[in-house]
Amino acid sequence: MIMVSFYILGIIILLAAILAIYARNIVTAIISTGVISLLVSILFLLLAAPDVAMTEAAIGSGLTTMVFLYAYNRIRRIRERNDG
Amino acid sequence: MGNNLTEIIYNVSALIALGAMVTAFLRMIIGPTIADRAVALDAMTLVTISLIAFLTLLLQRKVYLDVAIVYALISFLGVIAVARFLDKGL
Repeated sequence: MIMVSFYILGIIILLAAILAIYARNIVTAIISTGVISLLVSILFLLLAAPDVAMTEAAIGSGLTTMVFLYAYNRIRRIRERNDG
Repeated sequence: MGNNLTEIIYNVSALIALGAMVTAFLRMIIGPTIADRAVALDAMTLVTISLIAFLTLLLQRKVYLDVAIVYALISFLGVIAVARFLDKGL
């Protein structure tokens, strides 16, 4: 069952990475990056590294998504101001 | 992992959790709007927390439950950020 979990999570991580690269919408890519760090933390847990998994869960899924969305929002606002 | 029935229950619960994760990820791939993908991210977060609790039972290590607690405390931030971004900008 551990190996089945490895394979399924690995396939989902690969598909999420492909979605993050080839997505046209930037917010889709950001959410997909959050999904990647979500599942990578489970893989760290399966590889018997709970502290790394905890750090990855806190930083990768929570903080990185917020920082990326904040930066994208700033870029969008500056672009609207320059156009208008 | 003691007797045979416990093993069967563990396998079935892990398969259900993995199937739920695959289904939520399919919604993330084909979801037309960003709101669909945000809901899929939230569902995958919940499935992840349940999967970590399952691994705690399976591998008999209590340290893993701390990871689930930290994850449950932190993980709402991403969904809140996406929802706020969709509403009026972060």
